[in-house]
Amino acid sequence: MSDNHNEGHIGYPGYIGVFAVLVVGTIFTYFSSFWDLDGMFFPGANTLLALLIAFTKMTFVILFFMHVYWNSKLIKLSAVASFFWLAIMFAYTMQDYLTRGSGVFGQ
Amino acid sequence: MNSEATTGNGADGTPRVSYIGNGSTLRSWLLTKDHKRIALMYLISVSVFFMMGGLYAAAIRLELLTPASDLLETATYNKVFTQHGVLMIFFFLIPSIPAILGNFLLPLMIGAKDLALPRINLLSLYIYWLGGALTLIGLMQGGVDTGWTFYTPYSTTFSNSYVMLVGLGIFINGFSSILTGLNFIVTIHTMRAPGMTWFRMPLFVWAHYATSLVMILGTPVVAITVLLLAIERAAHVGIFDPAIGGDPILFQHLFWFYSHPAVYIMILPGMGVISELISNFSRKKIFGYEFIAFSSIAIAVFGFLVWGHHMFVSGQSIYAGLVFSFLTMVVAVPSAIKMFNWTATMFKGSITFDTPMLYAMGFMGLFLIGGLTGLFLGSVGLTVHLTDTYFVVAHFHYVMVGGQVIAYLGGIHYWWPKMTGRMYSEFWGKISAMLVFIGFNLTFFPQFILGYLGMPRRYAAYPEELQVLNIFSTAGASVLGVGLVMPVVYLTMSLINGKKAEDNPWMHPGLEWRTSSPPPTENFDTPPVVTWEAYEFGEDSGLDIEGARRRHQESVVNA
Amino acid sequence: MQNTSWIPMFPEAASTFAWQVDVLYFYLIAVSVAFSIPIVVAIFAFGIKYREREKFATPEEMHGSMVLEVTWSIIPFIVSMTIFLGGAIIYFQQYTPPDDAMQIYVVGKQWMWKIQHETGQREINELHVPVGRRVKLTMTTEDVLHNFDIPAFRTKADVVPGRYTYLWFEATKPGKYHLYCAEYCGLNHSGMIGSVIVMEQRDFDNWLSGNVSGQTPVEAGKDLFENKLGCASCHSGGQAARGAKLEGIFNTQVALVGGEKVLADDNYIRNSILNPAAQVVEGYQPIMPTFKGQVTEEQLNSLVAYIKSLSPNAAAAATAAKPAMAAPATPAAAKPASK
Repeated sequence: MSDNHNEGHIGYPGYIGVFAVLVVGTIFTYFSSFWDLDGMFFPGANTLLALLIAFTKMTFVILFFMHVYWNSKLIKLSAVASFFWLAIMFAYTMQDYLTRGSGVFGQ
Repeated sequence: MNSEATTGNGADGTPRVSYIGNGSTLRSWLLTKDHKRIALMYLISVSVFFMMGGLYAAAIRLELLTPASDLLETATYNKVFTQHGVLMIFFFLIPSIPAILGNFLLPLMIGAKDLALPRINLLSLYIYWLGGALTLIGLMQGGVDTGWTFYTPYSTTFSNSYVMLVGLGIFINGFSSILTGLNFIVTIHTMRAPGMTWFRMPLFVWAHYATSLVMILGTPVVAITVLLLAIERAAHVGIFDPAIGGDPILFQHLFWFYSHPAVYIMILPGMGVISELISNFSRKKIFGYEFIAFSSIAIAVFGFLVWGHHMFVSGQSIYAGLVFSFLTMVVAVPSAIKMFNWTATMFKGSITFDTPMLYAMGFMGLFLIGGLTGLFLGSVGLTVHLTDTYFVVAHFHYVMVGGQVIAYLGGIHYWWPKMTGRMYSEFWGKISAMLVFIGFNLTFFPQFILGYLGMPRRYAAYPEELQVLNIFSTAGASVLGVGLVMPVVYLTMSLINGKKAEDNPWMHPGLEWRTSSPPPTENFDTPPVVTWEAYEFGEDSGLDIEGARRRHQESVVNA
Repeated sequence: MQNTSWIPMFPEAASTFAWQVDVLYFYLIAVSVAFSIPIVVAIFAFGIKYREREKFATPEEMHGSMVLEVTWSIIPFIVSMTIFLGGAIIYFQQYTPPDDAMQIYVVGKQWMWKIQHETGQREINELHVPVGRRVKLTMTTEDVLHNFDIPAFRTKADVVPGRYTYLWFEATKPGKYHLYCAEYCGLNHSGMIGSVIVMEQRDFDNWLSGNVSGQTPVEAGKDLFENKLGCASCHSGGQAARGAKLEGIFNTQVALVGGEKVLADDNYIRNSILNPAAQVVEGYQPIMPTFKGQVTEEQLNSLVAYIKSLSPNAAAAATAAKPAMAAPATPAAAKPASK
């Protein structure tokens, strides 16, 4: 169960690279909110894009800043499992909201 | 307690120092990394919270003796039941078995020197104290009146009580649970003694593994929920209050996503204790070991999918209600499996009725009722009538008190000789076990009837025709109270004049019984190697049963 | 309640749900007893028969049994599914109000129930309903969560701020029954009680006419719509109108800007008044101002009632349900307002 902390780290250039990805993601999120994707594609497209960017950033943080990339399969499994749990929470909460009759979520 | 300083001789013949005798300064306790000392400090703190919660319970029952709100004003009554819930749930039920018995026994049971992260373990105790202190300050300043569920928008917009302070206390206390859970999981994965395979672990350890999973997956959600509540209350950001654009039912979803699994945080360790007690006091390998182990895991997993059954009448969609009802019914199965396996374990055993076994048998009866009335409440059409009535109150007290507290008391008695090196008074132990069982049933069984009659919970005043049943309930509570105070007295007395405990007074095969009572700081003189299966009473177990019989004979003759 | 026994054991049953819930209750008691007796008997029998005969004995080891494990997994599963099904059937009825029910509006507030009948009568902490008629409560609250609970009818529902929830029942027995608030709502929660008075239809009609009635909700809503709030200036229904046509809209699928469709039910109408920009009807601009804070919950109820009355289908159903009502009391809902 040793986590090989010294193997394959990406060093300062790597960390700065990941940081750059996060900054670019943030800027991209900001500008994407000005485009009317909801009108162009489908309602909620803006939110979807913002969430996709957020999840990408989060994945970078977990993999590199939190060293999951270099860790054992068990640690990777645990990391994925916690998101599975989060998905359960969202899915079962939404099954209530999406079946309430009128579309506005109780407001 | 100096006599406990040495417990016989170690492997190399030098006098052995027990963990209690290893330093007596305040510093040696407060800065200890010994899981056993941390467990003892938890025992004292948790007992203080339990007694405070008990006093609130007494106030509730006295108020409900008469239909009118006369002993307490409604404002006071609302605070009393809220604080009873907050203290009992967050500061007693959740930490009691894991943080006391789990902390003490987990390393002993798997043959480890300590938990994997001893400093984190001490940190979690300090976090518990900090959370508890903030909550107590909140209570002294004037308390909270929102109910332990903190339903919005009452808690965010309307209540004038100390919601923020108590909320902060609960938020901080959550991290104590998370750290304990994390510590247990790492310990079970990495610290098992040679030969202690997964399926040789006592079921107590399996139960704590399942509990820890729930703790680390669920507790962050309640922490975030309380944080959101605080943000809305302090900064008026519309999250839950519809007047400023929020949704009150969202709070219930988030709250119960943790708080239903929290019920399993409370009961799973209790089930672990009961598995130990039933198997050991029947002197027989537990029936269906794998089924009990995996039913714990199944309960932990399915426990996350059923929270909506607290919300059948909340205004969630009918479809969601049906899905949650279905999943709730599925959770009944692993609980039933445990019940049947425990009963089957007693078959052809060699059963003794020592105090812990009396508690275990009491647990089986009470948990049976608690579990079966859970079916009433899981059946969605019936629950529309029963929700928010005393039926619910009775049900969760049968599970929480009849299940968790009884298991906790059984466990404390069972491992008391190991923890303190002293035997408690068996006579008073049996009396108090009986009183708790009788008093408990007298208190809470009438509440099922009251619930079906429609008496709503959290009412300071109620219709007059319901008084007789409430009098039964209050009378029962006084018996229960006596039954619960007695152990405090005779267990404390045993520290002074109790008989010295043998290393293995019950002749049970668990690893914790194969070291001295109380154990030395490093738990075992030589790292144990496990060559026997779990609950192995036969010759392979390596127990000196002949010797124990001889010593028993001598003690009978001497007496 | 007229429970006269010394120790009450069973609540009065006074609605069409009551017997169903009671049957399920007794079924569950039977199941509980059927499971408990073997286990309790086994615990006692094993405890006596296999009590310790020799100190520290080692009984013969027993191995688990797959057959037993599977049996006692499957039987509880099947039994629990029957319980689920029974509960689901009743639940579905409890929370699916029929279309032809008599409408009553309920507004909860700390710590009282304000009730208004469709014919305009108002009551506080008392609800008069006729026996044998389906009654639908449309409920909301001005402040915190409440719960409208009538144990004798075996039904209850949370009353949620910011939206409507519904409760329906058909009383079967005249009498006076407890009404509780079952969701904790603060200081005087246990004082938020009242009674539901079930009357014969004749007595109910007398009670209705004996009470001075003000405007009916539909009339009050019409007044608000046309005069006080001036909704009619935009929602006139004409081709050039700036607001959507509301005639016949209730209970239909409305196309929204962005292509979504939504069912125009009470909650949709309510939200469109309070938060108009959230769901704009296809072909219209989001120019309607919000009326949040300008209308009370009771005025909202009236507006919703009026807009519903503009839909002939819903109105026709309501007419059919009120044959026994005296002519003057017939609400305007019965007369379709549009051609």
